[in-house]
Amino acid sequence: MAEPAARQDPESPAPVDEEALVRRARRGDLGAYDELVRRYQERIYATIYHMTSNHEDANDLAQESFIKAFQALKTFKGGSSFYTWLYRIAVNKTINFLKQRKNRTHMSLNDLDFNAEHDPDLVALISDKTPRREAGLTELQEKLNAAMLKLSEPHRLVVVLHDVQGLSHDEIARIMECNIGTVRSRLFYARQQLQGYLSDYLRPT
Amino acid sequence: MNESENNFESLRRLLALKRHEIPPPGYFNNLPGQIMARLRAGEADAPQGITAPSWLLKFFQAFEAKPAYVSSFACSLCLLLLFGIIYAERPDATEKPSIFSALTTPPVSLVDAKSAVYSSSQPTGLMVNTNPVFSLEPVAMLFGQQNPLAQPVSLSLPGGN
Repeated sequence: MAEPAARQDPESPAPVDEEALVRRARRGDLGAYDELVRRYQERIYATIYHMTSNHEDANDLAQESFIKAFQALKTFKGGSSFYTWLYRIAVNKTINFLKQRKNRTHMSLNDLDFNAEHDPDLVALISDKTPRREAGLTELQEKLNAAMLKLSEPHRLVVVLHDVQGLSHDEIARIMECNIGTVRSRLFYARQQLQGYLSDYLRPT
Repeated sequence: MNESENNFESLRRLLALKRHEIPPPGYFNNLPGQIMARLRAGEADAPQGITAPSWLLKFFQAFEAKPAYVSSFACSLCLLLLFGIIYAERPDATEKPSIFSALTTPPVSLVDAKSAVYSSSQPTGLMVNTNPVFSLEPVAMLFGQQNPLAQPVSLSLPGGN
């Protein structure tokens, strides 16, 4: 996950093969479904994790999403890509979960990988140009996740899908079943909110 | 707008930190196995008949795919319930003879004739009512006085005792 997993084109992993896998999985072939899980597990897990800021919750929800998707495969018409459809299931499950646990947010953050310390953008953020120059990456991570949790679920989702996962506005609109204008306005508002929460950790203009 | 875009650029760089968050080592090697194990266990436990009513599954799956359906379904149920309550409390709704009561009520002429004969021949104070509608009025005579029909019983056996 060190590389921006979703920066790559979501449709990239051999769409023809994917169709065949989906067909086989729909007939109950668990081997084919296992292959589909392996293809998309990182992106699905990452999306849920960035929404919940909790590894255990993300693990549970990712498993439930894949199980739910397998059980619902017969209803998958192929109108959208399997990836978008799977994403939609995971996102809906996550949002429902977050609504239920509304007032009890407990962060269980994953560790940062080794590359984080060498990322020039991040190094710049913790350099002398930010007001909180003493902030380390771990503190930055905690503040960032806490700020993300202050956003409403739809706004957080747009930030996660676009700025963290790297999906296009169009893909997000299809996943969230809304129009692109809504995605853009939500993204703008969410960024404004985050900017306010994290002003101490951002470079002054 | 440009200024805010510049600010957002800084924010986007900060958000890039989240891409460096990784789950415990080996997590993605185990996840598919856990999912497959749960699927196999679920398939083994689930009775065959559960998959049969696909329309019911589709119905509930529609709820999961679009949570708005749940809300609209719940609203329509509430409206139906409200309509039922309002309709039941309407005075003319209770007075109207229903088909059921019309079917269960015996013909008036027969009942009236029977009760008239019975009440005139036995003026005991007991009310004979063939009306199927149960009356909640208290029957004052039941416990307030002696029953004139009650007779002391004396048994005499043929042997003398």
